[in-house]
Amino acid sequence: MRDRVALAAWLAAVLAVTLVHAPAVLAGALVLVLVVSGGGRGALMLRALRLVLPVLLLVSVGYLAMAWWSGAVAWPYLLLVNLRVLLLALLTTWMVRDVRLERALAGSPSALRWLAIVRSQVHVFRRLAAEYRAAVQSRSTVPPTLGQRYRAGAALGLAVLDKAVYNSEALTQGMRSRGALDD
Amino acid sequence: MHIPDGLISPQTYLPAAALALPLWAYAARRLRGRLGDELLPRLAVFTALAFLLSTLMLPLPGGTSGHAVGVGLLALLFGPWLAFLAYSLVLLLQAVVVGAGGITSLPVNALAIGLLGAWLTVGLYAALRRFGDTVAVPVAVWLAVMASALVLALVLGLQPSIAQGPDGTPRFFPFGPAITVPALLVPHVFIGVGEAVLTLLVFRHAQRRRWVGVRT
Repeated sequence: MRDRVALAAWLAAVLAVTLVHAPAVLAGALVLVLVVSGGGRGALMLRALRLVLPVLLLVSVGYLAMAWWSGAVAWPYLLLVNLRVLLLALLTTWMVRDVRLERALAGSPSALRWLAIVRSQVHVFRRLAAEYRAAVQSRSTVPPTLGQRYRAGAALGLAVLDKAVYNSEALTQGMRSRGALDD
Repeated sequence: MHIPDGLISPQTYLPAAALALPLWAYAARRLRGRLGDELLPRLAVFTALAFLLSTLMLPLPGGTSGHAVGVGLLALLFGPWLAFLAYSLVLLLQAVVVGAGGITSLPVNALAIGLLGAWLTVGLYAALRRFGDTVAVPVAVWLAVMASALVLALVLGLQPSIAQGPDGTPRFFPFGPAITVPALLVPHVFIGVGEAVLTLLVFRHAQRRRWVGVRT
């Protein structure tokens, strides 16, 4: 229940932030979120910054150049967009850290089932890709060229795909045999 | 290529959500009851693959990089409606699990990449099929990637006109179409080539494994 409420609150907060255009309010909300989010707020802020920094830099530097070229004042817009995008990213990273999606989606068995299967497949893909990458690196003393990386990636990728489909079919049959797909 | 939160105005994402919601409901209704032991595991694997493709960076000329999407592959294997639904799930997972992309921009991204990309891939593939898969698949996928990028560039480029303060200052994305269209289309010329080659490779593999033919 707590996770479902937290998920709904996050969604409402994200929508509300896009309706606010006052930098002072956004800055206040940013400070409030940092205070309320509890321990590890520094790591949370860093994670949010890492997610949006490339986009913010691109937009800010581009807008700054455009404003300088046309002689316009840039800082009110830069303050607004940087605060808003950063606040939204902070809200999302906080939600990702503290909300258990499985519990939040407990009321929808089909959504939960799909989430579980896709998540498990993502995990399997990542593990297999890491294993194969380590295997390729261990066979060569010099770094592979871009062409070699693409060719090895294609061959290994298809092998990983076969394995993932096989694993997924076994997982589905296991779920079926335990009655998880009967509703 | 998908857009993060905070750069798309409510005037854009609310109508997009109103359009996407019934389409998601329709796609989910088409899927319901067909999720058998054959479709479910393959759909899960290819949805996961699309999720990972959108997190893996492809090196581009000039030292930059971009990511593939995988929606064309989903469309060719499972049909456009299921591809739209699966890719929307990818976007949702990216927003709520990884924190990438955005929840307010999800309807815009889903419609431009998921729906348009999937339908264009399937439509162009059907039109070009007489030239063989080697031509039809890459051309269909490349054109679909470019079309999706163009739509997103236009949506972004319209933001300064749609949402601005009383003094004319933009409130969301600040650059017009003259900047956004080339900024998105030029890198996607290369990303589209990578995506087209990748899709052809996996599509042929799927045909050899007889994974094609579970479309809804």
